[in-house]
Amino acid sequence: MKPIHSLLLPFLLSLSLGAQPPAAGAEVIPITASIPEDAEIQKVIAPCAAEIKATFGLPLVQAPQGLFRGRRGEENLLGYWVADVMRGAAEGVTGKPVRLAITNAGGLRANLRPGLLKVADIFELMPFENELVVIELTGAEVIQVVKESIVRRGGEPCSGVRAVVSGTPEAATATITWADGSPIDPAATIEVATTDYLYGGGDSIPTLKKGRKPFTTGLTLRQILLDACARLAKDKQDLVAPAPGRYGIPVPIQEAIRDRKFKL
Amino acid sequence: MDRRDFIASLAAATVASHLPLGAAAAPSSGRITLLHTNDTHSHIEPFGPGNGPISGLGGVARRATLLRQLRAQLGSVLLLDAGDTFQGTPYFNRYKGRLDYQLMRMLGYDAGTLGNHDFDNGVELLVEAMEAMEQLQHPNPPFPFVNCNFDFKGAPELGKRVRPSLIRTFPGLRVGITGVGVAFAGLVSPKNHEGVGWRDPYECLRPVVQHLREVEKADLVVVLSHLGYDLKGTAPDDLQMPGQVAGIDAIIGGHSHTFLEAPTRVPQARGETLVFQVGFGGVNLGRMDFAMARGTLRSASGSSMPVLG
Repeated sequence: MKPIHSLLLPFLLSLSLGAQPPAAGAEVIPITASIPEDAEIQKVIAPCAAEIKATFGLPLVQAPQGLFRGRRGEENLLGYWVADVMRGAAEGVTGKPVRLAITNAGGLRANLRPGLLKVADIFELMPFENELVVIELTGAEVIQVVKESIVRRGGEPCSGVRAVVSGTPEAATATITWADGSPIDPAATIEVATTDYLYGGGDSIPTLKKGRKPFTTGLTLRQILLDACARLAKDKQDLVAPAPGRYGIPVPIQEAIRDRKFKL
Repeated sequence: MDRRDFIASLAAATVASHLPLGAAAAPSSGRITLLHTNDTHSHIEPFGPGNGPISGLGGVARRATLLRQLRAQLGSVLLLDAGDTFQGTPYFNRYKGRLDYQLMRMLGYDAGTLGNHDFDNGVELLVEAMEAMEQLQHPNPPFPFVNCNFDFKGAPELGKRVRPSLIRTFPGLRVGITGVGVAFAGLVSPKNHEGVGWRDPYECLRPVVQHLREVEKADLVVVLSHLGYDLKGTAPDDLQMPGQVAGIDAIIGGHSHTFLEAPTRVPQARGETLVFQVGFGGVNLGRMDFAMARGTLRSASGSSMPVLG
């Protein structure tokens, strides 16, 4: 948060054309650190806010087994679903094939418990206003992104790729391919879906910051998840977790990752 | 500088320094403040906790208070927006942009332009949101939209509501305002901008800026740009615009969600252009001040003001 003097500074600078005090009769109204809400505007917003809040109790879709982030050593199936939705939404708005989606597990704030999901459950899962962003990376950078996510957290939720780590914590190799097992051409140009948070350098997948031609979709992750649930319900389908198998990391290496002793 | 020029500039500076802040007391003031937003993305309420450095910032009701405070101390003010008003919160999904535009009118916006996301529900619903804003019962007049590089031939209802440029007259100066939008390809699905074509923004701006300067005798030319701040030469952007189109004094930018603390000064054939953008979501209000003396720009400065809770 900015200290108050830095707020006043631009205002004072604007006064300083000739370093004259304000003309007689002019009143100096300081721009205070806290700006109260305008009552007239708030009166217009309040009923709309109430109406939106009322939608939180609306039913979305059945998730008979629920979707869970997984305990340590387990794959993050909830995260895989989120990444799948991101990839689909990114393809929808760009009209291009998007071969990788990656988000951060830390941004998913709640599991989806078994049963009928409500709008509020998606708000709990995704309370942030994080936006879906589509960037261009080379195939080599895609491989590097996946490696960085493994080193950082044992693999961030992704869609489109498969990573198998083998060897020992001291001498490990990672085999990173497309989900169908086909190789990633290091020279290819790849459309990648991620969030404004990760693209901006959050959660330390530095290679994502190299993304070129960023397309800020304006779509929040929360909204695309809500839309995905609504589509399932409309098609009379349940929400089911994607299958595991996107990351294969031996337990000793997982432990080394947890202890921050692992390099790739 | 020879002595005569020096005395002339000294006199102008003295005049400027004695211009009082209150407009009523200064009919020949020649000062103007541009206040501006971009990419507000339906952020009607402040950002909640857990949104990093922007947690707790923004909110339309607070922006209204800040605007009221600033208008009380400033003379001539223009309140402008650089597009992407739509998409981003449940308010957009529920109210389809009608609430956003209505609130902008209540806040006293003087003009806006169109971003790619303003087409997210298609041309018809965009026009409906504009109509809802026009039909609102409110003392503030409906605000116009400006854009000079969209071709509205196939979308007359939208074309009626978007003009290539406009002039606003204040004591001591005339302000010309125009706008440009980003290419639809890859950003807006073809069915959502049906009937609206895109043309090169620099080519479209050149005659419009010239007209504002030479025919309309604008002292200050402002472009509301939804091109993005710095696209590194891959597409037209705000940083290159001053070098491509002479005669622009201020570019109020959007699209790239760039957080600038103060305007970037970019040299151009007729002096310099202030290029500014204040992030997104209404977390900041941009401000640029211009002082004119005898038709010449004497001073320009600006800053980004956080909308604090």
